[in-house]
Amino acid sequence: MKRAPRLTQWIRKTETFKKLSTLPLNFVLNFVLIVPFAIMIFLSFTTWEPLSGYDWWHAPVAGVPRFIEAFGDARLLWAFIRTTVFVAVVLPLEFLLGLGMALLFLGDFRGKRAFTSVLMYPMMMPWVVVGLGFYLMFQYYGPVNLLLLKPMFGEGGMVDWFTNAVLAFGAVMIADIWQWTPLMFLIIYAGLAAVPRRLIEAAQVLGASSARIVATVHLPLIKPLLVVALIIRGLEAFKVFDIVYIMTRGGPGVNSTEVISLYVYNLSIVYHNTSYACAVSLLIMVATALVTRLAIRPLEVKVE
Amino acid sequence: MSKPEEKKISRRTYLQVAGGTIVGLAVGGALGYLATPPKMVTTTETETYTLTAGPGAGVSDRAVAGAKQLVASGAVPAGATLKLLHVAGSKNNFEPFFAYWEAETGTKVEVVTLGGEPDVYTKAMAEATAKTGAFDIITIFSTWKGDVIESGLAKDLTDYYNKYNPEYGSQYPDTTVIEPLADYTTMYKGRRYAVDLDADVFTLTYRKDLLENPDYASQFRSKFGYDLKVPDTWEEVKDVSKFFNELNLKASDGEKVYGAYFYADPGWAAFTTWLCIFVSKGGILFSPTDMKAMINTQEGIDATQVMADLVPYMHPDALSMDWASLYKRYSEGKAVLTMAWPSLIKWAQDPSTSQVVGKSGSALAPGSRVTVGGKEILLKAANNPVNWIGVVSNYSKYPELGYLFWQWVVSPVIGADAVTRVGIMDIHRNCWFKPPYRAAFEKAYTPQFLDVFADCIAHSFPDLMIKGSSEYLDKLTKNINAACVKSKTPKAAVDDTAKDWEPITDRLGRNAQLEAWKSMIALYPADVQDVWKAKGYIS
Repeated sequence: MKRAPRLTQWIRKTETFKKLSTLPLNFVLNFVLIVPFAIMIFLSFTTWEPLSGYDWWHAPVAGVPRFIEAFGDARLLWAFIRTTVFVAVVLPLEFLLGLGMALLFLGDFRGKRAFTSVLMYPMMMPWVVVGLGFYLMFQYYGPVNLLLLKPMFGEGGMVDWFTNAVLAFGAVMIADIWQWTPLMFLIIYAGLAAVPRRLIEAAQVLGASSARIVATVHLPLIKPLLVVALIIRGLEAFKVFDIVYIMTRGGPGVNSTEVISLYVYNLSIVYHNTSYACAVSLLIMVATALVTRLAIRPLEVKVE
Repeated sequence: MSKPEEKKISRRTYLQVAGGTIVGLAVGGALGYLATPPKMVTTTETETYTLTAGPGAGVSDRAVAGAKQLVASGAVPAGATLKLLHVAGSKNNFEPFFAYWEAETGTKVEVVTLGGEPDVYTKAMAEATAKTGAFDIITIFSTWKGDVIESGLAKDLTDYYNKYNPEYGSQYPDTTVIEPLADYTTMYKGRRYAVDLDADVFTLTYRKDLLENPDYASQFRSKFGYDLKVPDTWEEVKDVSKFFNELNLKASDGEKVYGAYFYADPGWAAFTTWLCIFVSKGGILFSPTDMKAMINTQEGIDATQVMADLVPYMHPDALSMDWASLYKRYSEGKAVLTMAWPSLIKWAQDPSTSQVVGKSGSALAPGSRVTVGGKEILLKAANNPVNWIGVVSNYSKYPELGYLFWQWVVSPVIGADAVTRVGIMDIHRNCWFKPPYRAAFEKAYTPQFLDVFADCIAHSFPDLMIKGSSEYLDKLTKNINAACVKSKTPKAAVDDTAKDWEPITDRLGRNAQLEAWKSMIALYPADVQDVWKAKGYIS
């Protein structure tokens, strides 16, 4: 029998080659992810900002004053509350709309493939484009007022969306729901389509109604998928930035629609309060990790 | 019908075909690359320069001679390239001149464009931290001057000014950048850190055809008891705006013609409209003794009240849309009074963008009646929001060459051609208002605008240009917008801003901020300083 060359043998057997082949990836990961993250942690324990007049690596460690400051920061608290409200509103709505559409699409109808493709388009659009589109749509002389509210309620029914905090935040939520409901639809539809046909037929034979089949067959079977969809979308919604930045910039007035990501952006980019922005980011990251950990607990199955 | 037979391709065949294709492409590409003759780099002179010989030719001549000397001495290698960081979409003022600069000096300029104005700031501040030397020269808003200087990015250009003489100052009355513009856009704590590229002084723009209409004039007189005219004070602005708003005139598309459009949105409200009203009322932003915020004085409350009072007569976009909406709405004929940068008049005069061509007039910004030494005077002060300036990076390999390019491109001769092109730069040198340069500028701006604008510059005052100005103005502009959308009272808006400003000053260092603010006070027009003295704000 012909023997494999030495080099091939070495490659097959040795662990060194395996480790060496991960080097490029390790290098990229370290410099793109871990090093900046370490710098962020370091800066959060300093009071450095670009306007300090010295380089960040010369910044003296100041301890935890930035973290203490964060716990007493009313603007951060309000940004957190607004972000939570945003997630609490858009996530269930996107879920319910996505579920409803997925159930509708389970049956066959003419043009189903075309409709499915069209439904995907909002998700494929850049956030900035969606934000700008909805920003223009909700202007006083925009289509929402001129084509919807004016014909229904007359000129007096036209609304100045971006001069009222609640309406402005509502417009942002509508934009988010429009863009991300298709994601929910896609995930849920994929799950529902994979439910074995025989289980549904068995339930039908036993006389179960369509609603009961959905509640007792479909949903329990795709529960892990639903949890994953909710976590992914929930985390994304918590990080919302682009559409708020484009549509309201945190206004009208003083930060009335400011969410956490926008606040951190303002801290670091507009105010150059870099070390404080790092401390706030770190706290948010820890909080998000804890919430995610709790959310995925139901998915963990103990293996005996 | 029988099922078509599946074509089976073995893994081996697939790998052979795929591998062969890749190798073929690679070899073919390499051979193609080697076979291609080297690219001929040719410069085609497509630009027509309309350079006018006139006063100040020495400014560009000295810049070119300086650049040549740098190359000849070996300080700068021949063919060296300057990287210019610049906002996207507005390269027209500079780019046509790169080939000319190269032909004159043997060095090149390459422009690196970014999306919007805030992106330039973000990138510049990132460069201040990273110190890569990726950009040699940068165009920024003068508002950010304090930040780019204090962060170490902007180089002190005082020595270059002395060496090459760009002809700034009263000793060069024919050619200088009009005072006080030259000083406040380029100086910081007594040193020159920038070259002025622009004059962004706000000018009142109005619908001349409506204000000169005899029917409206008689209606106005019977309603307000005085003649309809270009408003001199902010109180008159309110009357004129109210009058035209209530006429319910219709623009060509059937939408309402509003009385006014003044920036009141969360992005621009403070350092455009509000600051102009505030200063004209004799307000001062900070105390020159302890740097305490002084925006919540009676002047601050009154200025905010004026803005809130104007809101019912303004186009709704004024409260929420970005700056460009003003240009669009005014040019659609949907506002009677407005105030904006000089480029508005170019926009309103262009038939491709405007329905009010030939119907606009320009005037110095309205003022306020204030009492000085027991005598009432009309104080007018025009603000200069964001004025573009050119800075040189401290991390550039060729800082002197970078400075020389700035001096050259806005010199009286070259600048006369550069500035009249559509772009970010606007007229700012004395000589450009006079022959032989004036004809080109009249064509771009209209003669009436030129007559008014030199006066506007002379009455202008700078943006807040100290360290942290972005943060100070962000807090102020949001509060002013809050008062305009009625979510705060004018008093609460300025009180809250003052409260927000104190921790910023403490964080950035009260003494250092005070020093910077004191040097800024000296840059305000003399009549504004006189009012401050009369009020006891400064000594």
